[in-house]
Amino acid sequence: MIEARGLTKRYGRFTAVDGVDLDIAERGIVGFLGPNGAGKTTTMRMLTGYLPMTDGTAKVAGFDVFDQPQQVKARVGYLPETPPLYPELTVGEYLAFVAEIRGLAKKDRLRRVGDVMDQVGLKEMEKRVTGALSKGYRQRVGLAQALLHDPPVLILDEPTSGLDPAQLVGIRRLVQELAEDRLVVLSTHILQEVELLCDRVILINRGKLAGDGTVESLAAEVGAGAWVELVADGPAEDATAKLAGLDAVESVRSLEPSSSGAARFRLEGGGDLPAAVAALAATEGWRVHALVPRKASLEEVFLSLVEVER
Amino acid sequence: MSTAASVPGFVPATLSIARKELRVLFLSPLAWVFLGAVLLLGGIFFHLGLAVSGEASMRPVLGNLAIVLLFCLPLVTMRQFAEETRIGTLELLMTAPVPLGALILGKWLATLALCCVLLALTAIYPAILWLYGDPDPGALVTSYLGMIGLCAAFSAAGLFVSSLARDQMVAGVGTVLLLLPFWLADAGRDLLPEWFAPVLSRVSVIEHLRGPARGVIDSADVVYFLGFVVLFLFLTWRSLESRRWR
Repeated sequence: MIEARGLTKRYGRFTAVDGVDLDIAERGIVGFLGPNGAGKTTTMRMLTGYLPMTDGTAKVAGFDVFDQPQQVKARVGYLPETPPLYPELTVGEYLAFVAEIRGLAKKDRLRRVGDVMDQVGLKEMEKRVTGALSKGYRQRVGLAQALLHDPPVLILDEPTSGLDPAQLVGIRRLVQELAEDRLVVLSTHILQEVELLCDRVILINRGKLAGDGTVESLAAEVGAGAWVELVADGPAEDATAKLAGLDAVESVRSLEPSSSGAARFRLEGGGDLPAAVAALAATEGWRVHALVPRKASLEEVFLSLVEVER
Repeated sequence: MSTAASVPGFVPATLSIARKELRVLFLSPLAWVFLGAVLLLGGIFFHLGLAVSGEASMRPVLGNLAIVLLFCLPLVTMRQFAEETRIGTLELLMTAPVPLGALILGKWLATLALCCVLLALTAIYPAILWLYGDPDPGALVTSYLGMIGLCAAFSAAGLFVSSLARDQMVAGVGTVLLLLPFWLADAGRDLLPEWFAPVLSRVSVIEHLRGPARGVIDSADVVYFLGFVVLFLFLTWRSLESRRWR
């Protein structure tokens, strides 16, 4: 669906996007993640044909963005960072206008506008002026606009920014629904959102690709794999050494004690780590409060990947 | 997921843009302020012209109306691209499969349509002339054709400046500054060397309205207004193209 080689955008001497390669073949949700100013928006603007690239090539939905922009534009739905609304027009008028410039056949327009308003939950807002809508509803109108022509590729620039928790859940559910039969690329700097929504994460930092994969594969890449947290009463000073002595354990780090004063350890290793730890605790007479398998959080992965770049 | 992607035709896209533009114009106070202001000033000039010359013709009004438009039309055109950039809708238009030419032409046609509404409302002046005098009907028609030419030219120039500026006020003032020489060229005739006069009169907008006001349309006038429009629409196109590269 999206194929980019050496995608580069320079503004004078400033390089906003620097030689990004992308290969996104599948459907589903792909998240562009990166700190503010990392080049996410610029990348999206190049993929939608709004900005021409300084260097490199990009193919979206089978067409070259530079050589056949109209073909690409016809197959991409795009929600920019601020929903592009005309404040004077009502929701219905606005969507009818977008349907026109999207080239929808006259007989389909009204039906399609109605369908999309239903889909994003805007039906009761049809006669309202877009300038008077709340942030959440504007975002929905922006999304409706991007969906009108039923595009195989949907590019959403921070679709959830500024929404309240209830709206957030609504939009996320909608995005998941939409991704069932198309590719959705969304950008965000909210890490939980990526963990919650995205099948694949593309990390962008300072205009460069800093990581690409699932949250798990990225974690493995930076060596922040799965670990086990042990919370216990009783272990003395030498506990760390004893834990490290176990065959299954590769590394041990003691963490801040829990609020009740119990010792906490972070253990990494393979095999039967929890069982081995439990057996040791039993022989040593430690009172184990918890022995929990943990995943590396995206925060850790994100920070370590972004850190490497610096 | 749809397989057949749709792209609008050039003419439907142009008309969609023009319709949207007019709708937004008339929903905001701008169009009404523009019509009100120009009609008020036009009315004053019509009255004064008639009182002074006592002549049953549109000649005195037209020259003055041209100047009023020079200052008022930029109020309308200043928002065209500057506003779309500010509120982010340019991104919508540029990522939809709308040809750039259709976008420019649509916006220009919308301004021209607004001017035609204005000119239709000024039909009360010739109506009064008919009622109380004996104006030359041919001259009335050519006068209006001249005014349409002028509006078409000013709209194109305004659109161009709006495509350059990111700020509405800059676009508005810039348009007035761009258009002023075309008016002042006529007044400057006495100040500059004599050999320069023919050049000035060719450049002057007022000069090209003189013929139509008398009932004569010279091919030079047609070429002037047409050239004005084509030049500035072309420059708008170039400016939007190049702006994407910056």
